[in-house]
Amino acid sequence: MSAPYIVRFSLKQRVEHLLTMVIFALLCLTGLPQKFFTAGWAQTLVHLFGGFDSMRWIHRGCGILLALSTVLHFSTAITGMLSRKVAFSMVPTRKDFRDLVQQLRYYLGSEPHQPLYDRFTYKEKFEYWGLVAGNVIMVGTGLVLFFPVIVARLLPGQLIPVAKVAHSNEGLMAFLVITLWHIFNAHLSPDVFPFDTAMFTGKVSRERYAHEHPLELARLEGRPPPTPGEAHDAHQDEADQGVA
Amino acid sequence: MNRLAFPLLLVLASTPAWAADSAKEQEECLGCHGDPKVDPGDLKGGEKLPLFVDKELFARSVHGQQGLTCTDCHQGKKPDHATGEALPFTRRELSRDHAKVCASCHEEVATVFAKSVHGRQLEATGDGPACTDCHGVHTITRPSENELVLRTPDVCGKCHTNETLMKKYGISTRVVRTYLADFHGMATTLSRGGKKGEKGEKVRLAAGCTDCHGYHDIQRTDDPSSRVIAANLQKTCQRCHTGATANFPAAWLSHWEPTPEKAPLVWGVTLFYKLLIPFMVGGLGLQIVLHLWRTLVNR
Repeated sequence: MSAPYIVRFSLKQRVEHLLTMVIFALLCLTGLPQKFFTAGWAQTLVHLFGGFDSMRWIHRGCGILLALSTVLHFSTAITGMLSRKVAFSMVPTRKDFRDLVQQLRYYLGSEPHQPLYDRFTYKEKFEYWGLVAGNVIMVGTGLVLFFPVIVARLLPGQLIPVAKVAHSNEGLMAFLVITLWHIFNAHLSPDVFPFDTAMFTGKVSRERYAHEHPLELARLEGRPPPTPGEAHDAHQDEADQGVA
Repeated sequence: MNRLAFPLLLVLASTPAWAADSAKEQEECLGCHGDPKVDPGDLKGGEKLPLFVDKELFARSVHGQQGLTCTDCHQGKKPDHATGEALPFTRRELSRDHAKVCASCHEEVATVFAKSVHGRQLEATGDGPACTDCHGVHTITRPSENELVLRTPDVCGKCHTNETLMKKYGISTRVVRTYLADFHGMATTLSRGGKKGEKGEKVRLAAGCTDCHGYHDIQRTDDPSSRVIAANLQKTCQRCHTGATANFPAAWLSHWEPTPEKAPLVWGVTLFYKLLIPFMVGGLGLQIVLHLWRTLVNR
């Protein structure tokens, strides 16, 4: 019998996630009051952070940490990929688009099976690259707003209000996507409710892995990839056992 | 002369005999005016004139702290003035009379103000603000406390968002809205509730209206001596933004709303997100709904 669980996330990945989570939450708490500054809750948060000046510095400090963690993440990922220790598993492929279509068709009832996923589903890839693109925009525009005089020395002044509009809207979108999409997928989705612990313990049961990432599991165990029917039946058996 | 007036007043105020006198005088005035239910005065123009004075608020005002008493401003008032005293016709007229009282101590400021666009307009039509319209009456704060400058969007907005009044002079009423939409307006609003420092001053992180336009010396925006006319703008920005170059003033949209003509890039990026955010949130929300629906159907 194979191991009862699969190690899905390394310690480094779990620490990165925890850091990003804390920094992101702080950035939202210190950033959104600046966007919705006329709201009563904005003033409450400003008081909580010890006044507007200290709130601004916490926001900037967290922004710098986010920038550093992004740079660190990519430098280790790129060196890892070059030395072939890390697979290109996060790169979007044509299969992801097929998976998206098949998943939606399954939801709508015009497809009997869900797609068979490899290490990362299209949903995870979308969120990952969304976060990366968001980080780049937020850090870039954040720096423009942090050092407007230096920016205007080199570039047209209108870029500063442009950066403000982009920073404020991109930030709001990140907040909405994370609260809606990430909280759903990690907590509220019927598949994981109430809490997907994989990102904190690193572990996922083999049973669940066979359902969620059958292609990766087969590769890990040196088996040929399962067909949609097999994976579905396996899942069905588990469900039946669960009932019994 | 007025440079001597304050120290002189302070010396006098610290004399026990005077202090006792002024305390007695205040008691006497506040006997009627300290009652929140005191009847408002009827002006001949039909307006009501509130006559209540909050003792606590006045004591905290800069004039209260300096030990000024009622008759320092309300010169020549006698305890029996309530009967048959000639009142001004309108409150506007009263405010203009106030300005003369203020000028009797604040002579230099009054001279500068008289030359400003507001001062000239006050003289010519009465539409310009008088001292008390911006500073208040019994609650005047010390300028260094930053209390007033943090409230400038409201103070200036009182007239500058008044459509009828502004139409008369061809001035946009969008000035406050566009100021608040910018970084300065946000920072000023969020600083307003802040704590006071050691000297009783509030922390201020961004320019209020008067920081760019000027205080008592305010001029029309097309006046060559205006601080905000294009030729002077870089220097005005530099007052806070050390080292601001010629490009820098363009960071401020000069109270224009971002339109394709005035600020195409700002307009474009705003529109982009106006479309992207609902698309993104709606798309993901729809997928969640479908997911939940499928789970229910499969049960």
